Amino acid sequence: MKALVIDRDLPRFGAARLAAGLGASPGTRAGPLRLRDDVEPPGLPGPDWIRLRPRTSGICGSDLATVQGRSSRWFEPIVSFPFVPGHEIVADDPDGRRVVVEPVLGCVARGVTPVCPACAEGRIGNCGLLGHGHLAAGLQTGYCCDTGGGWSEELVAHRSQLHEVPDELDDHDALMVEPTACALHGALAAEIGPGDTVAVLGAGTLGYLAVAAVARWSAPLRLLVSARHPHQRDLVRSLAGDAVTPEVCGPDALDRAARRATASQAVGAPGHSGARLSGGVDVTIDCVGSTESITQALAVTRPGGRVIMVGMPGVETLDLTPLWQREIAVRGAYAYGIETVAGQRIRTFDLAFELVASHRLGRLVSATYPLERHRDALDHAANAGRRGGTKVAFDLHAPDHPAGRTLKGRR
Amino acid sequence: MRLPSPLARVRAAGFPWTAAPTPRGVEPPPQVERLGDAYDTDWARRPVALWSRIAALESVGRVATRVTCRPTVHNLDRLGGNDGPLIFVANHHSHLDTALLLTTLPMPWRHELVVAAAADYFFDTAPKAALAAWAYGAVPMERRRASRRSADRAATLLEDGWSLLIFPEGGRSPDGWGQPHKGGAAYLGVRCGVPVVPVHLHGTGRVLPKGRTVPEPHAVQINVGAPLRPEPDEDARRFALRVEAGIARLADETSSDWWEARRRAAIGSTPSLKGPQQDTWRRDWHSPDRRPLDRRPRRWPS
Amino acid sequence: MLDVDRSTPPVLLHHGEQFRLERLPADRSRIVYPPEPLPGLDDPDAAIRRAIEEPIDSEPLRELLFPDMRLTIAFDDISLPLPKMRRPDIRQRVIEAVLDVAADVGVDDIHLIAALALHRRMTEAELRHSVGDRVYDAFAPRGQLYNHDAEDPDGMTVIGETRHGEEVQISTRAATSDLIVYVNLNLVSMDGGWKSTATGLSGYQGLRHHHNVATMRATRSFMDQDRSELHRSNWRQGAVLRDAGIKVFQIETTVNNDLFGDGPLAVLAKREWEWTPRDRATFMGVKAGLDRMTPGGRRRILHSWEAPYALTSVQAGEVEAVHRITTEHVYDQQLVAVEGQTDVVLYGLPYVGPYNVNSIMNPILVMCLGLGYFFNMYRGRPVVREGGVLIMTHPTTDEFHPVHHPSYIDFFEQVLAETTDPIEIERRYEVGYAEDEWYRHLYRTSYAYHGVHPFYMWYWGSHALEHLGGVVVVGGDPATVRRLGFRPASTLADALEIASDLVGPSPSITYVKNPPIGMADVT
Repeated sequence: MKALVIDRDLPRFGAARLAAGLGASPGTRAGPLRLRDDVEPPGLPGPDWIRLRPRTSGICGSDLATVQGRSSRWFEPIVSFPFVPGHEIVADDPDGRRVVVEPVLGCVARGVTPVCPACAEGRIGNCGLLGHGHLAAGLQTGYCCDTGGGWSEELVAHRSQLHEVPDELDDHDALMVEPTACALHGALAAEIGPGDTVAVLGAGTLGYLAVAAVARWSAPLRLLVSARHPHQRDLVRSLAGDAVTPEVCGPDALDRAARRATASQAVGAPGHSGARLSGGVDVTIDCVGSTESITQALAVTRPGGRVIMVGMPGVETLDLTPLWQREIAVRGAYAYGIETVAGQRIRTFDLAFELVASHRLGRLVSATYPLERHRDALDHAANAGRRGGTKVAFDLHAPDHPAGRTLKGRR
Repeated sequence: MRLPSPLARVRAAGFPWTAAPTPRGVEPPPQVERLGDAYDTDWARRPVALWSRIAALESVGRVATRVTCRPTVHNLDRLGGNDGPLIFVANHHSHLDTALLLTTLPMPWRHELVVAAAADYFFDTAPKAALAAWAYGAVPMERRRASRRSADRAATLLEDGWSLLIFPEGGRSPDGWGQPHKGGAAYLGVRCGVPVVPVHLHGTGRVLPKGRTVPEPHAVQINVGAPLRPEPDEDARRFALRVEAGIARLADETSSDWWEARRRAAIGSTPSLKGPQQDTWRRDWHSPDRRPLDRRPRRWPS
Repeated sequence: MLDVDRSTPPVLLHHGEQFRLERLPADRSRIVYPPEPLPGLDDPDAAIRRAIEEPIDSEPLRELLFPDMRLTIAFDDISLPLPKMRRPDIRQRVIEAVLDVAADVGVDDIHLIAALALHRRMTEAELRHSVGDRVYDAFAPRGQLYNHDAEDPDGMTVIGETRHGEEVQISTRAATSDLIVYVNLNLVSMDGGWKSTATGLSGYQGLRHHHNVATMRATRSFMDQDRSELHRSNWRQGAVLRDAGIKVFQIETTVNNDLFGDGPLAVLAKREWEWTPRDRATFMGVKAGLDRMTPGGRRRILHSWEAPYALTSVQAGEVEAVHRITTEHVYDQQLVAVEGQTDVVLYGLPYVGPYNVNSIMNPILVMCLGLGYFFNMYRGRPVVREGGVLIMTHPTTDEFHPVHHPSYIDFFEQVLAETTDPIEIERRYEVGYAEDEWYRHLYRTSYAYHGVHPFYMWYWGSHALEHLGGVVVVGGDPATVRRLGFRPASTLADALEIASDLVGPSPSITYVKNPPIGMADVT
């Protein structure tokens, strides 16, 4: 079968890391990702596992980090090579039903008994037994050599991982369920109180979804969104809906916006030199995960406020003095599990389906590419903001269609 | 071996290196000593002397006064709107006063200025007279008595467009306090219709007072007053009093501020420049030229 | 006024800190040149003394003063004149003359206040330039010379209300004085009169009643007091002050149009056909030099220019009587007869406006200078017809002075990103900015314009926004110009093409050259 595969090829990882300094495109080309026609489909690891044929599979920020060799060495023991990337997957099961894969490989999928306490509570994202059971190490489908991944023609999945897609959602909507669940998990982890001021950093896929999520479950609130490109403003508005009017500003203007929104004083001039605000936003949701975004998050959050890191960081070098001086709590938000909304415990994926359906989030899929054009696809994904796109995905129905089909790309 | 003296060699060379001897029986023409009040300074205002003086003042003079006096000039804007000649009158504490004013007064007056200098002090010998005339653009002024010649010459110069600097006290202050003013400047102002500009110098007497030869650097304040014009019915004597009061007010302004001085002037309580009348220790103690007691070097710039 | 034909050379336009030479379309363009400078008074100091000794509709100043009185002398801030004046500033001359009289009478309790309303505070150097070193050294160290502080909770007094319900608020020191002497510099016909006291010494509470969109839209040129709601409102507030027993001795001065003197910039005051070879060489040198400098360097050079203005008149006494005469003097210098309106009006915006002295002309100030000041320099009716197009040349970069204009940055980033409609801006955002504690803090302690000031800039242009069919900025940064709601054009030809789309083909064009300052009397 045909698949994009990442081998344990240390020289290539190193080369990609160096080349990534020149730009996203050289980073991808030098990286360890290869398209192969002769990949053996993975075998079924155990009972309750079935074969899936992917319909479409998205490219996530963490995927980009991996193919460009930027991802942290933290993952080394909890992935297994060679693996097929792709964890945002919409697929057909053998019965012809469309399913979305919940890619986390927790105790249930691994056949670990008894399950660990986190999995017992449904918090499968917090499962710590990522190398146990009858699977090789791997934190998710798409990082494990035994399961395959979405960027191929076939993979295997445990029945517990599958969510059937209702007919009213098309493939693109379905594709957005997994990233929506991630953003949603972060937005709910922020524990936003009524009337809080919240800043969302980054208007990429996660940023948009976080905006939709906080507007849906945390209103009323004041919402600030930093977005680098003007076309992102309207999309942010429409995702926030009627309940919340977000103020969208450039990343350079965020500290000013935070000062205004919270009626703070400032010492020093806001802008590049960085003002010290007397107050700041209650919660910052960082959907970027870069040194710059974390630094900014610490600068605009009020003393005693919270920063939620939804975007995946890597090895970052930054000044943590404000974290200490302003007594800011930083919390990560990885994957999904189970949420408590209005006193009820609901699986994150179920909430994600609801949000996708109500906001028609499939419109965030800007372009799809066949596997053969994976370099173009990855370039596009890496420059999505500048090129007027959001989510870029592989279309696995039509292996030979002529060009990346731009659906809602706006330039 | 002893070198032959140059003078001896000149003498040995004879005529035309030396003057021809007067033949016997011929009465030598009387030697006319044109010194003192009669010294003719026209040459010092011709281009060669004038421009060499300006060059010297603007280079050596400027550096020397800046090093010794660190002058600050206040209120030059009061001269705005005047374009003709002016008579500058100033209090006099030091030989540096003239050099200082010649390098700090504004253009165009700075380079079109003659200085009234005591005929008996600066013009008593030819070399001294030439030096004063060249270096300061000095013209002799009789200070012991009223001199028709001095006055006429100054009036002519004013009419030719030269400005004049006069120290009406007639000499440097012996103790830092002012001396009675002589009426020459006011007389010239009335006679020629030229505005009189009072100027107050504070601190030159601390740098190089009368009787000293080595200057000791100190900051100097120069305060320029508004030009005074004689009223239609004002005679020179009363005008002189007004000029004298003008300098006293400038002194008050330097030691307090414009508003204080103006208020005191309005009620006639401007402090006199002549100091306490009794010649007691207090006269020296309060003298404007007494240097401050604390002579230790300052750690911080003042 | 010059009708452009095929032989007309390219004409000079100001372009911020630079210059452009542009050829105007022949046979349908005309150029309105500002008037020549009038001769100045021979002896300004004597004229000032005479004015305060023989005032209009008032006793002489000397009789109004008495020893134990509270006297407040208020003076205009650095927004006047433009560019700044060579020393001695007229304010210094007048204040010294007033203090001379006060000293003779023996008045001790004197305060001098820079009547800057919600403008930024003046720095020491700027105050020294305005009032002179003598006055500064005498009064500033005693705390008797200072900037007006409209946000001082203990320093402002509400005097009353007009019959229109407008609150009248002035500085408490002024309100409790036995006499206010207001020293005015009437650069344009908007300045002076009751606007001096009722605006200059006021605060947000009093200003909001006339610094708003409704007033500005009812003001058919704030340069023409007879048709200006802004002035009517100020006059009403002035009447309240007068009825409350607050005595104002108004001293108004006018200067001539000599902005550029005989120096290197003299060419800017001349018509193109008067340029001598030397002028042309100087101009090319200056232009080439400026074009090669950094924006900061250009600003430093140009803002250091001090104009040699001459005083053309000075009158003192009762506010309204004085102001009528002053305004006549301003008109004598500035009015130019312009026959009929035009489809397209063209302005070259210079490097300085009232609110960026020693500072940066940011995009909001560009709007205010073009659509506020230049557009309103008319009497009768606007130079451009209703629905016509205003074209202005200015680089219009997204650059702000971080100290002077902090609220402008937020206004640009937040407000203009949402809307450019003055009514909506006023309704949704004004109060928030006016009451923002940080702007208040910076206005009071730093050198920042008040938080609400950018709004006033926008309101100043609201009459023009309503009147015009479109605004094109030649040479402006496209993103910034679009944020202002205008259209960018890279050349004048492009701008005229854009204008033709809005007003029809072959529109008539009027280029109003300014500065030097001229005011169109449109018939």
